[in-house]
Amino acid sequence: MPSLKLPIVGSPGEQPAPARTQWRSLEERERGLETTGEFPPGASEIGGTSRREFVQLLGASMAFAGAAGCFKQPPEQILPYTRPPEEIVPGRPLHYATASTLGGRATGLLITAFEGRATKVEGNPEHPSSLGATGLFEQASILQLYDPNRGSVLQEKNRPRSWREFLAAQNDRANALRAKDGGAGLRFLLEPGSSPLIGELRERIQKLFPNARFRSYSAVSEDAALRGARLAFGSALETRFDLSKARVIACLEADPLYPWPGSIPAMRAWADKREPGPGMNRLYAVECALSVTGMNADHRLRIRPSQLAPNALALAAKLGAGGGALAPLAALGAKSRLDPKQQRFVDALARDLSRAGRQGVVMAGPRSPALVHALAHAINSSLSSEAVRHQKPLLHDAETGAEGLRELAAEIRAGAVDTLVVTAANPVHTAPYELNLAKALDSVPNSIYRGLYQDETSQRCGWFVPATHPLEDWGDARAHDGTVTFLQPLVQPLFNGIAESQVLAAFLAQGDKSPYALLREHWRSARADAEDAWEKWISDGFIQGSASAAESPQLRVDAVAAAALAARFDAAGPALELNVVPDYRLYDGRFANNVWLQETPDPVTKLTWDNAALLSPKTARELGVQTHDAVDLGLHGPPVHAAVLVVPGHADGAVTVALGYGRAGGEQSAAGVGFDVAPLRRTEAPWGDRGLTLTKLGRRHRLAITQEHWSMEGRDPALDMDLHEYEGHGRERIEEGRVPVATMHTPWDYSKVAYKWGMAIDLARCTGCSACMVACQSENNVPVVGKVNVEKSREMHWLRLDRYFSGSEEDPRATTQPMLCVHCETAPCEYVCPVNATVHSDEGLNEMVYNRCIGTRYCSNNCPYKVRRFNFFNYTYDTGDVEKLRMNPDVTVRSRGVMEKCTYCVQRIERARIDSRVQERPIAEKELQTACQQACPAHAIVFGNLHDRSHEVTKKHADDRHYFVLNDVGTRPRTAYLARVRNPNPELT
Amino acid sequence: MAVSAAARIEARRVLEPLPLLEGEQDDGTLNKTLLDYIWRKPGRGWLLLVGLGLAGTGLLTLAVVVTVAKGIGTWGNNIPVAWAFGIINFVWWIGIGHAGTLISAILLLFQQKWRTSINRFAEAMTLFAVLQAAMFPVLHTGRPWFAIYWLFPYPSTNRIWPQFKSPLMWDVFAVSTYFITSLLFWYLGLIPDLAALRDSSTSRWMRRIYGVFSFGWRGSARHWHHYKIAYLLLAGLATPLVLSVHTIVSYDFAVSVVPGWHETIFPPYFVAGAVFSGFAMVMTLMVPARRFLRLKHVVTARHLEAMCKIMLTTSLIVGYGYLMEHFLSWYSGNPYDFYQYANRRGILHGPFTSAAHDPYIPIFWLMVTCNVVVPSIFWSRWGRTNVYVMWIASILINVGMWCERFVIVVISLHRDYLPSSWAIYKPTWVDLSLLSGTICLFGLLFLLFLKFLPAVAVQEVKELRHELQQAHERHEIPDFSQEIIHVTELEAGEEDRR
Repeated sequence: MPSLKLPIVGSPGEQPAPARTQWRSLEERERGLETTGEFPPGASEIGGTSRREFVQLLGASMAFAGAAGCFKQPPEQILPYTRPPEEIVPGRPLHYATASTLGGRATGLLITAFEGRATKVEGNPEHPSSLGATGLFEQASILQLYDPNRGSVLQEKNRPRSWREFLAAQNDRANALRAKDGGAGLRFLLEPGSSPLIGELRERIQKLFPNARFRSYSAVSEDAALRGARLAFGSALETRFDLSKARVIACLEADPLYPWPGSIPAMRAWADKREPGPGMNRLYAVECALSVTGMNADHRLRIRPSQLAPNALALAAKLGAGGGALAPLAALGAKSRLDPKQQRFVDALARDLSRAGRQGVVMAGPRSPALVHALAHAINSSLSSEAVRHQKPLLHDAETGAEGLRELAAEIRAGAVDTLVVTAANPVHTAPYELNLAKALDSVPNSIYRGLYQDETSQRCGWFVPATHPLEDWGDARAHDGTVTFLQPLVQPLFNGIAESQVLAAFLAQGDKSPYALLREHWRSARADAEDAWEKWISDGFIQGSASAAESPQLRVDAVAAAALAARFDAAGPALELNVVPDYRLYDGRFANNVWLQETPDPVTKLTWDNAALLSPKTARELGVQTHDAVDLGLHGPPVHAAVLVVPGHADGAVTVALGYGRAGGEQSAAGVGFDVAPLRRTEAPWGDRGLTLTKLGRRHRLAITQEHWSMEGRDPALDMDLHEYEGHGRERIEEGRVPVATMHTPWDYSKVAYKWGMAIDLARCTGCSACMVACQSENNVPVVGKVNVEKSREMHWLRLDRYFSGSEEDPRATTQPMLCVHCETAPCEYVCPVNATVHSDEGLNEMVYNRCIGTRYCSNNCPYKVRRFNFFNYTYDTGDVEKLRMNPDVTVRSRGVMEKCTYCVQRIERARIDSRVQERPIAEKELQTACQQACPAHAIVFGNLHDRSHEVTKKHADDRHYFVLNDVGTRPRTAYLARVRNPNPELT
Repeated sequence: MAVSAAARIEARRVLEPLPLLEGEQDDGTLNKTLLDYIWRKPGRGWLLLVGLGLAGTGLLTLAVVVTVAKGIGTWGNNIPVAWAFGIINFVWWIGIGHAGTLISAILLLFQQKWRTSINRFAEAMTLFAVLQAAMFPVLHTGRPWFAIYWLFPYPSTNRIWPQFKSPLMWDVFAVSTYFITSLLFWYLGLIPDLAALRDSSTSRWMRRIYGVFSFGWRGSARHWHHYKIAYLLLAGLATPLVLSVHTIVSYDFAVSVVPGWHETIFPPYFVAGAVFSGFAMVMTLMVPARRFLRLKHVVTARHLEAMCKIMLTTSLIVGYGYLMEHFLSWYSGNPYDFYQYANRRGILHGPFTSAAHDPYIPIFWLMVTCNVVVPSIFWSRWGRTNVYVMWIASILINVGMWCERFVIVVISLHRDYLPSSWAIYKPTWVDLSLLSGTICLFGLLFLLFLKFLPAVAVQEVKELRHELQQAHERHEIPDFSQEIIHVTELEAGEEDRR
């Protein structure tokens, strides 16, 4: 590729001010409005490429036509992961190792790129945080890369500036600050990070500006865990869990079965031990709102948030009653004052844990109070749990909570801050209300915000620096176990983004260095073998064997006991309690403009395009509210307008709300979605508090929920039974689901073909996290329809996660089931299509011929699984030029009036077929994975050739637990489901 | 004679059918009353109704344009309810379009003399109803521009044929055959009357126009000979179509696996329902037309009563169909069917079902009321002879039959197999405009028909009068002159005519 670093307008270089004053309309001129130029900043950037750059590219692509694709690739050499190509073959994707970071932890990724155009995110199978799988956030990050709403123009007070101008301005100012008082007025508010490069830059800045101060902030901080570790061990330590060694797992508001950063190995390990039998693990969940972990728990205790610590203490006391390390806590059990139901649960759990011994583990979540963490550490230490490993904190600033923000706000108010650099994700939106961070930022003389979007924080900062997306960035970070992971860019910054390392380097007078140069220099100095190993590191995506060392701290049980003694457990009053959770889809709001995530239903509530005030059915009845009712929530700040959503299994007397909504930034898709919970949060109590008031407004706010019907109506599409039932009559029940049903159709003959594709989905492993949904959306160019159409049940997801409740409203059993086209042998859709647009392939796929489809929708009516999706409108016509880049070129983009559905990723089958034919061998099991299968953190989905006995799918099709959904309808599906078997404690049933 | 004239009349009133023609009619009076109104200036009422029809047609056009321009998303359809108003309207209109051919063809073959006064009317209605119906199969597809020709089996370079197993394919053949046959049948019957209009026209232009459309009919014996044979043949051809069209329409549902659709009872039940709604629509239109066009002497109480009886019969068949559906949903032991019908009736219990109270239950009960309860009024002679009662009943029957299709299409789909995908359907303004727009277009076409063509088959009525007169002369039926007595009794009607 030619150098694109010519001094041209629109790229980091000079940017002249508008020559003449221009006005947009006569009205504007007459009203004497400030003239801003004919177009807003950045308007001339067509799809992130300026006009001149475009012409330059055009010329370059003419010159290089045939030699390579005409896409902007980074000038440095990036290395493909597995198949080093001699040259790029057009139409043939390459896979590059990189990573994404969230909460400061990296998840290793492999990016599929066509001629340098990244289209799909997969997990890096060798990376310890990914194991080949990905969560929703990683899957959806590809959409964020091409988001046309991303900030693209470096600005100072809304006037476009070049990077050079920024550097010049900051350099002068920083020099003056340093000369004055060693940079006492310089503050950094960074995104929590574990990057060795950033660490080095921070140290160098600190040397240059000895009085400068760094802080990190995230709305989803783990401060309580650190304080708990300090309490239990006397030092701040991180804990990670190896659930492969756990037989009894107790989660105290912990949610390890959702792919949060670092959770994927836990999900995999948990799922690996769900095969019915003696080795099966048992999961207990103690929580307020029904979580993904709670849905999968064998036993679940719903409690108000304030009751978590008493329950944890009672558990420790019960375990300590028999002597041992926890003996000092035994006497404190009475303090908990549990009700009989809780006591019974805790007693049974304690006995189970002590029976499990080294195979028992208690996990406390980031939202649990420090005391709960300390008690969990105490219990784990007393059990000498094999599942627990401690390590030194990975983050540069171990503390990332709002306390740091409060200090910062106080410093700003005192006038001590001259220059503030913010790279944390939108702190103005997520900061607790009482800090009034927005106002504080206004008074900072020189504030700089580096962000992906022009959001609430950028509105309050003088400078806005567009950030690079992780897929545009050179960088590094540590995985959850400390493994050094590298980020390599797939594409040059599309929106003129600036890396975080560059922003920091600006204060070292090195802002003109590229992130690549900074990274190389860092590693050259950090490791002696960097020169030799570099290529391997980058192509692997991480440095093997660089995980953190395990620490073996000593438990200070007396300190824990003292803290427990000092803790006040107030009796539950009549007032409501607030429970704040990070959102399953938007995290802390940073993904609010990601329409894939907005439209992915919440794994538990199936809510899209909104957050809601979650209530238990009983509390809702007491308050006289129903789902869709608009209410005011009041606590600390001004009231928050929310909509009620009644969820079975929620604790009574508590209201759960999710972070990340009610955004007021410049992001189009995020605008007007949900409500902001900031006024309900306090620095001391970020995750909830007592004294919440709920006032009915008498209005309704329609929530777009994809599944309104919760009951299976006795049809049992998702078989879910206890172990003792499975060992009794359960097997017969499952068998009923697979007895062949007579058919009038002539069976298809597969004896002459080499492949007979099939799928198996193990419900015992599926946690319902919904990563597969986003993976499918990304792989298959599935459009997004928006809230109004979701309300009308027109969502387009080829793969949906059904969630059923059974049992009582208070303690329901939640069963999740991925539902996608099951590719029936006697497909009801095929014979009703009048134009032959859906047909059976010779290898057993039920194929959809988009070109031929006229959209009678008869096939959908006749589909008992209702997995067919119809393009009611042309959902893709307004796809922008940049957004088009993320489309998978192997999959047709469907137009209006056409039916579509899961194809078993036929494009992947065909690609594997081409490779195998060229090499004259059959398709191997390993080389072909569907998108959902590949993404699944729990390995719940397998796909392969039913002709080949060695394939896992064939084994699963012979498993005792396999059955076919709606077997009695006689559709003979190709997708088998494996019944879910739970492992309840006989003491509690 | 020992028996007095009055007693004879009294005896006849009970035992004999009411007369087919009232008053002393000859060819001249029939011409005057059945043809001459075409040459009169349109009345204010007619103009008003045409204006209304035009406005509604405009709304229909708008709705069609919006649908084609933006997509089916402008309708309320969703997944699982992928069919809704489009198919409901289609089946409803096709059903209405059944009465015409039944009256014309089947009653002709059975030599039911009373058909002559109403067959033209009913056939026109059939044609206009099928026109409305024919719009929907194409319009309801996602890509109508392909649907128009990909549904026809023509040899194309793609070598792709339609899927002959699909009932939608059969629909295409059934409906198009039915439309063509109905059109030919109707037009053939119209030719002698068009010639009569040509001959009695008052202006040159009218004479030319009617002359072109009457295909040079001169009324020679040879013409009549060919005409009669052709008419009879077409009647024979049309007869099986009456049964086949709605049978095939019912296959759209019966062939599927959807609970509530997969019913072997559907073909006869649909045909009966179609005849039911068709007669109801003829009745709805005939009662006012007969009054305002002054046709009471040819469309007599006897005609209306006969139609009431047919409606009563078909209502019983339809009611039996409902009963059997619900019985079989229990008897079959199929849990999906059982749930489907229990849900329609609104009898449900169990956990979590309260969260999804079905808003469609009243529609089912409205259907039962209109289609089973209301027509039982025709058991009484009073109900069969009171025009107001039968007019209101016929309108209610049409409402009920529309509800029946709603129950079948929407209620079956919205809760089928997997409860996870269940959802509620709500029509949009486009849906409602299409329904009301087709009603207006139908009305408009009908008004134009009433204005420009003889609403009663004049030549057939004349033939009937001759037959009646000759029979009387041969003393095969009671004294023809006695008919006059009836007329004096029905003086109110006479005054109307004046």
